[in-house]
Amino acid sequence: MWKKDDVKSPTTPEVSTPPAPSPVLAVPSASAPSSFALPVSPRAAACISQGIRIKGEVTGNEDLFVDGLVEGKLNLTTNCCLTVGPNGTVKADLNAREIIVRGKVEGKVTARDKLQVWSTGQITGEVQTGRLAIEDGALLRGKVEAGKQSAKPAPAAVSSPAPELNSGTAAD
Amino acid sequence: MSREVTRNIYSNSRSHAPSVGVPAIGASRGPESPEATRVSNGLKEFLWNLDGLGRGTLLDLGPAWQTTLSFFIERGFRVSSEDLLRSWKAFLTEEETRLREDSAARESLDMTPSGRASRFLVENLQYPRVSFDAVLLWDLLDYIEPTLVKQIVANLTELLRPGGVVFAMFHSKKPEGFQRYRVLDSNTLQVVSSSVVCPPQRVYQNREIQDLFGRYRTVKSFVGRDQLRETLFIK
Repeated sequence: MWKKDDVKSPTTPEVSTPPAPSPVLAVPSASAPSSFALPVSPRAAACISQGIRIKGEVTGNEDLFVDGLVEGKLNLTTNCCLTVGPNGTVKADLNAREIIVRGKVEGKVTARDKLQVWSTGQITGEVQTGRLAIEDGALLRGKVEAGKQSAKPAPAAVSSPAPELNSGTAAD
Repeated sequence: MSREVTRNIYSNSRSHAPSVGVPAIGASRGPESPEATRVSNGLKEFLWNLDGLGRGTLLDLGPAWQTTLSFFIERGFRVSSEDLLRSWKAFLTEEETRLREDSAARESLDMTPSGRASRFLVENLQYPRVSFDAVLLWDLLDYIEPTLVKQIVANLTELLRPGGVVFAMFHSKKPEGFQRYRVLDSNTLQVVSSSVVCPPQRVYQNREIQDLFGRYRTVKSFVGRDQLRETLFIK
């Protein structure tokens, strides 16, 4: 006779272990579907995530992803990229080499190299940038100055014309 | 008004030099979403009037399109962008909500068209006087309350420098769909069908248009086959 104890239900797992945390949350994968991947610069080391609210001045020299609320000033020095995520709301003057806006920004935006405004992005305030990319549907309200005359170029870029920004990046 | 010549704005080239560094996302999307184009003599004349202007200032009251912004920025303009129709729509929605929730506001607010227009303009079209050389008004006036239209035109007149140019469009009959426009090149506009932001309010006759812009010294009109009148007003 067969032993009942040997029979195990195939549907009930013996041990229920929690799934390993998805690496996508910590390190966004470029190949993951866009709805799941965090829209953050691949080099972004710091993140102000949704639900976090900061009032005051934020400075740094690392890439930063803001999906929460920041009020005050946001200044990234050197070669840094600032991304305002789709849930991010920033009421502050922004200053970074590259700025990507997918959420709401109120304040003066200074992107020394380039500014990308995605379709969900909304900017109210003055914009100064080396290069500008706006996706259809984006909201931009304020003065826009783009080009080398208005932005302070990096020393290496002074002698050469600004390279063309890949027009597909903002729409990806 | 300074008219230092730095770049010929009146070039009829579709290919923008990459060295300028303002890419055209909208233009690159053209083949994906086939949108109509229209030859625009009004735009051509508008640019002709701005030809030779060094670092000119432009107020674009339509949506912020990549192609339009790039076109003018590449030619040395400092562009201010304000989607007036969307702001008007947002204002109306906000005010409706406020009136529904706040009974005190219902009694205290001036609900006449004039009062509403004044409240709207407190937070919109706020720029220093005589600060613009050119304004792209598109066909917005057809979609805005006539009372507000008068105030907008009066405000724009204050914002323009002497010799400044306004480019506006008026439908000769009630428009069937809702469209937005973006600059493709110096005499071509791309017509982008869009969901209705505001319903059309009024079809203006020539006399009414002239009265609205009575303070301008020159008016030039171009009527297209699509019954759209492109009009230039020079202050």
